Amino acid sequence: METTRQSFKRLDVVIDDLHSLFEEWEREGALLSHLDEDTIHLFRLAVHEWVANLVQHARFDERVPEVTMDVIPNGRRVRCIIEDNSNGFPLDERLDTQRQALKPFPERGMGLLMLNAATEYFEYSESKDGRQRLEFTVSADSDPCLNIPF
Amino acid sequence: MQATTMNFTIEPITHDSVVIRIGKALDFRNAADFKAGAQEQVRSGVRNFILDFTETGILDSTGLGSIFSLYRQVSPMSGQVVFASVSRPVQVVVQLTRTYKVFRQFPTVEAARDAIR
Repeated sequence: METTRQSFKRLDVVIDDLHSLFEEWEREGALLSHLDEDTIHLFRLAVHEWVANLVQHARFDERVPEVTMDVIPNGRRVRCIIEDNSNGFPLDERLDTQRQALKPFPERGMGLLMLNAATEYFEYSESKDGRQRLEFTVSADSDPCLNIPF
Repeated sequence: MQATTMNFTIEPITHDSVVIRIGKALDFRNAADFKAGAQEQVRSGVRNFILDFTETGILDSTGLGSIFSLYRQVSPMSGQVVFASVSRPVQVVVQLTRTYKVFRQFPTVEAARDAIR
């Protein structure tokens, strides 16, 4: 699979669109030439958690939402860049808060932690044109773990 | 008699046990429906839940949270929540979150039924 860019504008259907895309890639075996099945599911989960967070919490004010996703296969890793035109938020601060607030068998507050745990490398920043940019990699050679208190 | 909620089919197997067939997704879009459907079952006396993930392609953090919520509700009443026929995408979430330490898994719904009788 070559590097690919996808664009989304409708938040009400973006999750369905994303999963349709993954299902299409799965049918075509597009990602399987680079990654094993479980790593693809982990990658799909990471993308889902981030976009779910955008759908539920991001503020776009009067702007029409624009979300782009670049997928860059690289050997036994896949790199992904998701950009959007929302207002952004202090991700590191939010992660710290969620980590500290995690109770046994939590009902909420696991999404960003799950994304963070699933990824090998993870960076959130504002791009030069003011868009919010999440870049991460998922690796076939890691055994990621999110420590949830039980 | 089967009851169908938005994406879930609930099938009673004994007076206090049901199978919930999760369907394609349990995520932030339908977790509240799952929770409401499960709570209704608990109110009517159900204590044991077999979650059938045969068809499930998406289990996200909110979906998992709704299962934790059910577990918190039934475990003080000696109830159980077990997983059956776990699909690969769900297994990846179970592995990531180490929830296999909490929820017993069975290869089929029938095996789960036999185990919780």
